[in-house]
Amino acid sequence: MALNGAEVDDFAWAPPTEAETKVLQARRERQDRISRLMGDYLLRGYRMLGDTCADCGTILLQDKQRKIYCVACQELDSDVDKDNPALNPQAALSQAREHQLASTTEPATGSRPTPQPPVPRPEHCEGAAAGLKAAQGPPLPAAPLNTDVVAYTQTALLQKLTWASAELGSSTSLETSIQLCGLIRACAEALCSLKQLQL
Amino acid sequence: MASLGSVTAALRVVEALEAIASRCVGPEGGQVLCTKPTGEVLLSRDGGRLLEALHLEHPLARMVVACVSSHLKKTGDGAKTFIIFLCHLLRGLHAIREKDSFTSETTQTYERHWKNCCQWKSISQALLTFQTQILDCIVDQYLSRHYLSIFSLSAKGRTLCRRSLESLLEAYLCGRVGRNNHRFISQLMCDYIFKCVACKSSIEVFELVDNCFVELNIGVTGIPVSGSRIVDGLVLHRDFSVYCPADGDIRMVMVTEVLQPLFSSSKSEFILDSEAQFQASQCWIVERTKAVMKHLHSQNIKLILSSVKQPDLVIYCARLHGISVVECLSSEEVSLVWRITGLPPCVLPQVSSQGEISDTTLVKFCKPLILRSKRYVHLGLVSTCAFIPHCVILCGPVLGLVQQHESAFHGAFKMLRQLFTDLDLNYIIQTNTQSDSSPLAYHNSRECNRLPEIGKYQDIIVKSENKLKNTQTHLKVYSNVVASDTELETHVPWSAHKETPIHTSQTNDILKCLSPEKNWKIDDCELFIESNPTGNPTAEDTRTEISYENVQVTNNPGKEYTLPVMYKSLDACTSQGYCSSTIPAGCVLPVGGNFEILLHYYLLNYAKQCRQSAEAMVSMLISDALLGLPKTLYKPKKGKDSFPQIYIRSLRALQTSQAMVSGQSGLEPVAGKYQLVASVIQCLAKILTIDLIINIKRQPQKIDDQDSEDELEH
Repeated sequence: MALNGAEVDDFAWAPPTEAETKVLQARRERQDRISRLMGDYLLRGYRMLGDTCADCGTILLQDKQRKIYCVACQELDSDVDKDNPALNPQAALSQAREHQLASTTEPATGSRPTPQPPVPRPEHCEGAAAGLKAAQGPPLPAAPLNTDVVAYTQTALLQKLTWASAELGSSTSLETSIQLCGLIRACAEALCSLKQLQL
Repeated sequence: MASLGSVTAALRVVEALEAIASRCVGPEGGQVLCTKPTGEVLLSRDGGRLLEALHLEHPLARMVVACVSSHLKKTGDGAKTFIIFLCHLLRGLHAIREKDSFTSETTQTYERHWKNCCQWKSISQALLTFQTQILDCIVDQYLSRHYLSIFSLSAKGRTLCRRSLESLLEAYLCGRVGRNNHRFISQLMCDYIFKCVACKSSIEVFELVDNCFVELNIGVTGIPVSGSRIVDGLVLHRDFSVYCPADGDIRMVMVTEVLQPLFSSSKSEFILDSEAQFQASQCWIVERTKAVMKHLHSQNIKLILSSVKQPDLVIYCARLHGISVVECLSSEEVSLVWRITGLPPCVLPQVSSQGEISDTTLVKFCKPLILRSKRYVHLGLVSTCAFIPHCVILCGPVLGLVQQHESAFHGAFKMLRQLFTDLDLNYIIQTNTQSDSSPLAYHNSRECNRLPEIGKYQDIIVKSENKLKNTQTHLKVYSNVVASDTELETHVPWSAHKETPIHTSQTNDILKCLSPEKNWKIDDCELFIESNPTGNPTAEDTRTEISYENVQVTNNPGKEYTLPVMYKSLDACTSQGYCSSTIPAGCVLPVGGNFEILLHYYLLNYAKQCRQSAEAMVSMLISDALLGLPKTLYKPKKGKDSFPQIYIRSLRALQTSQAMVSGQSGLEPVAGKYQLVASVIQCLAKILTIDLIINIKRQPQKIDDQDSEDELEH
């Protein structure tokens, strides 16, 4: 910002790169979400305090029970969640690709077992399955898969299938039944993918 | 808290408030349900009420809300727009800071903080300079071309045009009152204004109604809103202590003291020696009171208005003589009656003397008024001022709705009061030429009045040797006007048509349009173009002459119509360059962000021409932020009515000097908008001068003076 023409910084300024623009955009969107949430809470009778959160710098709110509440930390997903493969299929896909890449660059003897991606949690089975399915699209590198791992995964999936079926049989809630059906479908798809991998 | 810059902190706060305001702004906005800290629920669209209902402990939030409240006290309008505009300005400043932070990462924190503070202070200075100098200049010289007038010229002179007033009030109320009621309330308000206004001097009336609105309205709960009505005369918020129906002339007297003599007055002693003396004193008092009441009766007084409680003896005597009594009037009601009738309260010696009481007046009628379960006194006063007394009875199913309508009514009168007052504009034009005394060739109108690339007009502001000739020419325009000529600025007419502008004749031929031979009709409402003769010439240059032109404009079927256009003659701009001008009373613009888009366009052009980078930066910042409001207003619209389309159409019209098309039929006052921009800039300048925010736990009391804001900051 040039208040007098003699500011040298101004001549050195270059427009932000694409990455920086993305960061700025993401930050702005996050800020918009925070403001909207804060506005909602204010209308509900929360009090806007004069302090800010130590972690994220957002203004703190206080409810009628005098409990302090930070909108960003406690409600909004944090920025780093998108890198967690357990929560994001894209992250799982990129991690799977990384591991495949790492296993091709290793010596062909392959005595050392390649590190495996973490077993996805059942609730996020769909995410991981989606990630794995997307990985089927591009041609796979000709890396030999450890059959033990596949068998282990298959066993785990079958176990989950059994458990889910049992739960489905005994469930009385509509929501739970729908979620269990989703889980069963995801497990079946995962099993199909694994079978294709074995072939 | 000290670690965050004040701009960032203010931005976070105002963004949260903007998230609320943007949801209820404009005709498409919804109602907002707010839970107050006391547990009550408030359903409203009124920005001022919502902001006051929020529980804000943050010092910056309190300061911003205090700024909004003081702005509302003056103009009665614009709370939500204030917040939205302020938010966009802060975002613009924040973006500047972010851009800066990419470059200067290496300096130490303290140095950077100090550097930031200095920069913010200089920006704050630049903002204030902008508000005092540039804003006035731009509004006066460019925006004035687009003004419309709410007045119409008739045989009696300048009168209010009812249709314009209706569209103004509808636009005002649609942001404040629920959609199902706003048309009814605006009709009611229009009726009330036309009933109350006796003659041309409306400003007195609006002032009186604004100051005494609490006394002039009655709120009744339990009746549907459609039960609201206007009653003739004055309704007092009291019941009769004694009511004696009377026919014929009713004389009224107002008293502020007790009519019965007291045992002793203050600061004096009353010494009794015996019981007999006491009895004698009491008898004397009784006799005196009876004599006073008899005297009043002999003077044909049928009504006593008292601001204090009268003793039982007085009431009894009044009943005997057939005099009605109303007690315990508030001092505001007493002063209102005084103002309307010119009747001062009667002093006691005059009442008790045997001579004629001079401070009496006639009333047309005096009867009780029953609304639901409450009784009121309904007086038919004879007015001696411009205000014909009428009261408005506002009904609603619940108290909250009644209160909302009352505050909407009150705010509208504040807005009208400001609309009908001339707003002064002062700015300095930098020029180094002397204006010639040779008269301007009338045929030069093309050169002067055509809307050029703004460069020609900017020459007034920028000192430049190269453009001396144009500057001279321009000055000639302002200072040498022959009486018979209509020497006016370029006029850019408005059109409410969505398709084509009505005024196809362009500004080059503007003088032809104004000739009396070409008349278009609009019902029976003659519209006119007015030149305003205000301002003080500070040099020997000739003043601009005033000329009235009679232009009638075609009316179009349907809601859209063209309005009279308003000319503003510039006052003499002296060779020193100090210009004083006004926004004339009655200037309005169509709603829908037109003021913002116009100001944005002219500011952008000004910034491009500007030499100084600080001024240019501030102009760009404000110009970008101004678009925030139209963007918010047009967000729900799609296709042809979306913001980008409207923006492009407006810009194109401005660049080619065509009539701007306004898709909406409401009006808004220019003075209010100007005041809003000025208030927001001042608020922002204040925010920028904050270095440190210290939070205090104790809530300060609500004081209505300026000092409270300083206390909050420290």
